[in-house]
Amino acid sequence: MSSDIILVIVVATALAFDFTNGFHDTANAIATSVSTRAMTPRFAVAMSAVLNFAGAFISLAVAATIASGIVDSDAITTTVVFAGLIGAIAWNLATWWFGLPSSSSHALIGGVIGAAFVADGASAIDGEGVIEKVLVPGIMAPILAFGVAGIAIVIAYAVVGRLRPGPVNRGYRHGQLVSGAMFSLAHGTNDAQKTMGIITLALIAHGDLPADKFEVPTWVIVSSASAIAMGTYVGGWRIIRTVGSRIIKMDPAQGFSAQAAGAAVVLTASHLGFPLSTTHTISGAVMGAGAAKRLSAVRWGLAGNIAVAWVLTLPATALIGGVTYAMNSLFGSGALGPIVIVLCVVSLLAAIFGRRWSAARSTAGLPAGTEGPA
Amino acid sequence: MIAAIDVGLLFELVWAAALAGVAVAACFSLVILGSSRAGELRREGRGGAAVAYGALAVFGAVAVAALVVFGISVIVTK
Repeated sequence: MSSDIILVIVVATALAFDFTNGFHDTANAIATSVSTRAMTPRFAVAMSAVLNFAGAFISLAVAATIASGIVDSDAITTTVVFAGLIGAIAWNLATWWFGLPSSSSHALIGGVIGAAFVADGASAIDGEGVIEKVLVPGIMAPILAFGVAGIAIVIAYAVVGRLRPGPVNRGYRHGQLVSGAMFSLAHGTNDAQKTMGIITLALIAHGDLPADKFEVPTWVIVSSASAIAMGTYVGGWRIIRTVGSRIIKMDPAQGFSAQAAGAAVVLTASHLGFPLSTTHTISGAVMGAGAAKRLSAVRWGLAGNIAVAWVLTLPATALIGGVTYAMNSLFGSGALGPIVIVLCVVSLLAAIFGRRWSAARSTAGLPAGTEGPA
Repeated sequence: MIAAIDVGLLFELVWAAALAGVAVAACFSLVILGSSRAGELRREGRGGAAVAYGALAVFGAVAVAALVVFGISVIVTK
């Protein structure tokens, strides 16, 4: 009975993480399109939600690779996964609140690392795996996207520079429909599967699925796809505003170049078996498209804050994951620990966000409980 | 630490991603250049030049479509 309750809590927490992953990462696919008015905000989030949902059904390859090569598979239990998810959700919400784009995947990996470290010690962590799969891609993605988007916008301006701005802007806005759709589809095939992988691992650990064959049940695919699509549709407008208009004030050519360069980098890396964070990639691409036009066009102070958030993602989520696991252990191996932690987290969120949200809404003259588009 | 990094793969990623990103932006810009100039030249009655720019736009569109199809195939088959 106790293990059944823990399983239900882990599944619910995983779907909650999937939801935060969706609204946190909406910006990756649509921020530049909304900013350049290639799409209306509602159309953009609806398109992105549908393609994220569809993408979740296309391939299940990523689902089997959750934290593999980073954390010893024997150390991954339902409570370690639960603690890791709490760390990732907390970080996603914190960075969303400050409007900072950061990697949900790195947050999840960090949370699981922290929980596994507290559970089994340093031997449970593969240091080389962390370098190869987290640190190197984390540095590589924004730098590469910055350079590619910079070259792309210089070439684009050289080709269309003498044309009338009207047709040029219309053309690049049409191009953003395609590049935004590609980004959304790629995101759906990657991120929804992380939740599928986690729920499947929990079901295996609980004995509901055979351990020798990694097979994702249909209900897990449908629920994960639905959670990320709903999160995407809700839209994390704070981060969309940051990526779309606060880093640089972009024109349609820059928006298209950033999105196309970002999509090219993500898909090329995926093709070579070197998955990169879509968040890091699109943020770097936006900065590159701005800096190539004029260095001072980029708000470097904000870019620095984003970089700090990226650097802090792994240690902060590891700390939260580790503390959550330790707190859970105080209540023994039953369901009491996860129940108490979930209640604490929900109460904390209600206290922090409820009060600030109402205050912000009343200041802006908007009804409480809404976070409207830019 | 060095053993964990496949330098060859990183190098391949850099040039391939740069090539793909720049190719998409350049080809799509050619579509805009070709279609925009073709329309203007047609209105000016310069049919030959309009056809040449139209062909440039078609070439760019085909190249972009090929890159998009390749991108979707990468998404679908990974």
